[in-house]
Amino acid sequence: MSLPLIETKLFRPSPRQGMVARPRLQERLDRSLGAKLMLVSAPAGFGKSTMLVEWLAAAESRAGSTVRGAWLSLDAADNDPARFWRYVVAAIRTAVPGVGEDALTLLDEARPPPVEAALTTLVNELAATEVECVLLLDDYHVVDAPAIHEGMAFLLAHQPDRLHLVLATRSDPPLPLPRLRARGDLVEVRAADLRFTTAEAASYLNETMGLDLGRADVQALEGRTEGWIAALQLAALSMTGREDVSIFIAGFTGDDRYVVDYLVEEVLQRLPEDTRDFLLRTSVLDRMNGALCNALTGRADGRGVLEALERDNLFVVPLDDRRHWYRYHHLFADVLRGRLLDEQPALAQELHTTAATWHEQEGDIAESIRHFLLGADFMGAAELVETLLAAFRRDRREATMRDWLEVLPLEVMEARPVLGNALAGARMSTGEFDGVDELLDATEAWLESGARRPGPSTRGAGVDDEEYRRLPADLAVHRAALALVRGDVERTHDFALRALDLVGEGGDHLTRGAAFALRGLAAWSSGDLATAHASYAACLVEFELIDHVSDVLGCSITLADIEVVQGRLRAAARTYRSALALADRHQTPVLRGRADMHVGLAARHREADDLAAARLELARSRELGEQAGLLQDAYRWRLVMAGVREAEGDVEAAIDLLDEAERLYVGDFSPPVRPVPAVRARTWARHGYVDAALDWADQVGLTLDDPLTYLREYEHLTLARALAAAHVRRGDSTDLAEVVTFLGRMLAAATDGGRQGSVVEIQVTRALVLQQVGDEESALAVLDAALEVAEPEGYVRTFVDEGPPMATLLAAAERRAPSAYVSRLRSALGSTSAARPSSGRTPSRHEGPVDALSSRERDVLRLLGSELSGPEIARELVVSLNTVRTHTKNVYMKLGVSSRRSAVVRGKELDLI
Amino acid sequence: MDEPQATAEPHPDAGWYRIRIQGRLEPRWSSWFDGMSVLRGDDGTTVLRGPVGDQAALHGLIQKVRDLGLTLLEVTHELPDASTGAGS
Repeated sequence: MSLPLIETKLFRPSPRQGMVARPRLQERLDRSLGAKLMLVSAPAGFGKSTMLVEWLAAAESRAGSTVRGAWLSLDAADNDPARFWRYVVAAIRTAVPGVGEDALTLLDEARPPPVEAALTTLVNELAATEVECVLLLDDYHVVDAPAIHEGMAFLLAHQPDRLHLVLATRSDPPLPLPRLRARGDLVEVRAADLRFTTAEAASYLNETMGLDLGRADVQALEGRTEGWIAALQLAALSMTGREDVSIFIAGFTGDDRYVVDYLVEEVLQRLPEDTRDFLLRTSVLDRMNGALCNALTGRADGRGVLEALERDNLFVVPLDDRRHWYRYHHLFADVLRGRLLDEQPALAQELHTTAATWHEQEGDIAESIRHFLLGADFMGAAELVETLLAAFRRDRREATMRDWLEVLPLEVMEARPVLGNALAGARMSTGEFDGVDELLDATEAWLESGARRPGPSTRGAGVDDEEYRRLPADLAVHRAALALVRGDVERTHDFALRALDLVGEGGDHLTRGAAFALRGLAAWSSGDLATAHASYAACLVEFELIDHVSDVLGCSITLADIEVVQGRLRAAARTYRSALALADRHQTPVLRGRADMHVGLAARHREADDLAAARLELARSRELGEQAGLLQDAYRWRLVMAGVREAEGDVEAAIDLLDEAERLYVGDFSPPVRPVPAVRARTWARHGYVDAALDWADQVGLTLDDPLTYLREYEHLTLARALAAAHVRRGDSTDLAEVVTFLGRMLAAATDGGRQGSVVEIQVTRALVLQQVGDEESALAVLDAALEVAEPEGYVRTFVDEGPPMATLLAAAERRAPSAYVSRLRSALGSTSAARPSSGRTPSRHEGPVDALSSRERDVLRLLGSELSGPEIARELVVSLNTVRTHTKNVYMKLGVSSRRSAVVRGKELDLI
Repeated sequence: MDEPQATAEPHPDAGWYRIRIQGRLEPRWSSWFDGMSVLRGDDGTTVLRGPVGDQAALHGLIQKVRDLGLTLLEVTHELPDASTGAGS
């Protein structure tokens, strides 16, 4: 595991004896076991944690209870989503052992962590157990990272019945509370509920604290403190062992000072000088043990003092069972810190520095950095941060790194340029690009000035030297990434090359891998496939050397995509297979990207016309679950499945899947060379939906006069097909000469670019168009050329998808020169037409759209006759609104109408409704 | 500590704020609240007053008010010019 867990954060305090029983809250707390969320929202010192500890212990020990509490105390460092969710999973594992392995793996694996995928596995596991798990997050108000609140909202939306969330917080969290409230999913306990009533105050003061006060005194104290429990505790402490209790009460209730000020003053005054000094000095700590206290007080009795403070109820809270770690009650600590800061500000800083040094020696570098920063010892903090750069990059803890770096003053950053460079990287990896240029400029200026690096740090000698050595190459990688985000292909390429030059052969694998990937993307975007391929192949090697398996899988998709365009189908299949083999060698339960490999293989099987194998791979991908897929997997899966359905003869299902794919489309840094709408337009054109295909062409605004670029190649070829289909429908072939010329230009461009895969597709289209204009001789010559390139790579569907016109051409080709390959293609064509038998209403390319409505179109027509709106129809049929629109458009066209009303009338006439 | 200046503020958006809370706070809380003046009102309230760098700093101050369990009554923005007449 990349992140050591601090056990004290998971420690659940034990209920203390003799606490005030609060039956009036009991019922409400129990109700939370039937709700999704319990919100305990009140200021510090209202007894939130105490109440929850007591309630949980009672709920667990009830006879037959399956309730188990999972406790997590949050602190400001938990604003790093990876850390936050790891702790949540760890807390749940204390209550339900054995769950969450997969979730932890997922959280470790990628940046940003795939929180939703991790939570999905966790939720599924919890739903399968018998335990009623109460997940209690204490001090949730420290969370201010929006990403964490989003994750919590996701958890709330997908929570199984057996998981109950409890948030103890000083301010209401930005979660959908009104909605939860309206649905009865929220139980709330607020300040007004938590305040001690007079009876509870009496019970506390007289029974728990043994003060024996009269009713009037209790009322006076309750009134002055407004039932604020922490204040009543302080008051009780001030009164214990005092002769003149009524004088104290008179003085206290007759004063209008902030109650805590007044009472802490009282309490401190009655303590021996050395205890007061101990409290003030150690108040700078969030967590303390005897040894740490000794470092701050210069004494040797830390442990004993802490135990005595606990005995005397002086606001220390044990953080474990061994009386080892403690903290002060937050409110008490704040008041003490306020005094320290006012009385001895220099001492406060010095104490933080001392605490920082102690933690550094103990090896808790993160806590040490926190104290250096609080003590304004920025150089100390900077030196330590420098030693952590490599480890944090490896463990993908950029969010934490960023928190530290953002608070360092500019001059420190300028003196230690690796930090400015790291901040630039941390910002980019957390999706922010503001100020990144300036940071990179400063790093570059420093490098150019020839300034010497700051003297080697006294800490972890050698660790940070490496950071300075890699600085120039790292800087270039950051510049390349920034250029890519801004769409500047040329600069991406130049900086990636510079990075590779600087890091040199055998240099840092992460830098080299990133630089190769960036160069590959730049080359791909500019159509230089050979360079793109070589870069991605090299990038895979680098990432594999450092076991970044998920990155290897991600890059494999790109590599295989490039290979397909190059016409190297067998190589593409090999790329997926070896990536899967690599994934198998790593015994990770869920590996992001694995599902994508199966989808890639499915596409290869489909091309080879092995539809059963393609379906099998798609099913495997599904079985692995969403969390095994990259973000692009959802739409890519549907693209391939659409191809399978089309090949099976169900064009409508294919179009529905393509509609879904369009909705689920998520871009990445790869150039969008096969846009989903173009894939759909091509399917439309192939099956006679000519208007829809031409509409698409209008929308993208392409023409036959465009200059040709690789990025628009797929769309341009789709345009040619839409135009050819329009000619088929009109039954003439005028103007097709333009299309023929255009395809000739495309062929030359694809050949020049080494895109043999594109060449096959273009040649198939050319052959069909030439046949359409009646030039069978040229058509057959072009087909021959296509077959020659296609045969060694085993292309099938690229030909077979074309249906009857291709059958005619292939038959003619076989008459001239019989070959095993051609007869294989012909038999594939034969079996395909056999596979779409019965109705005989399958649209033929030469007939235009079918006359009869498909079953789906009839469904839509029936609903058009109802009161339902478009979106309601979509919901009813469980398809997208776009799909409904497409169906509606087809219905109108087939019925020869132009409105919903006339469609319904016509439908009734034809007995369709 | 910064005294209010009669001259033009270098950052026109960096304003002064008054944070009024219930109860009487000791003046020594000034350092805790980033050097804001702690002014006692005659109505049992306390006003924290001074320059606040930006919105994030203001929220930090309000969070400190929350963490001490103090009751927040109001937060008002003061223009730098207006503050000079108040004679703090």
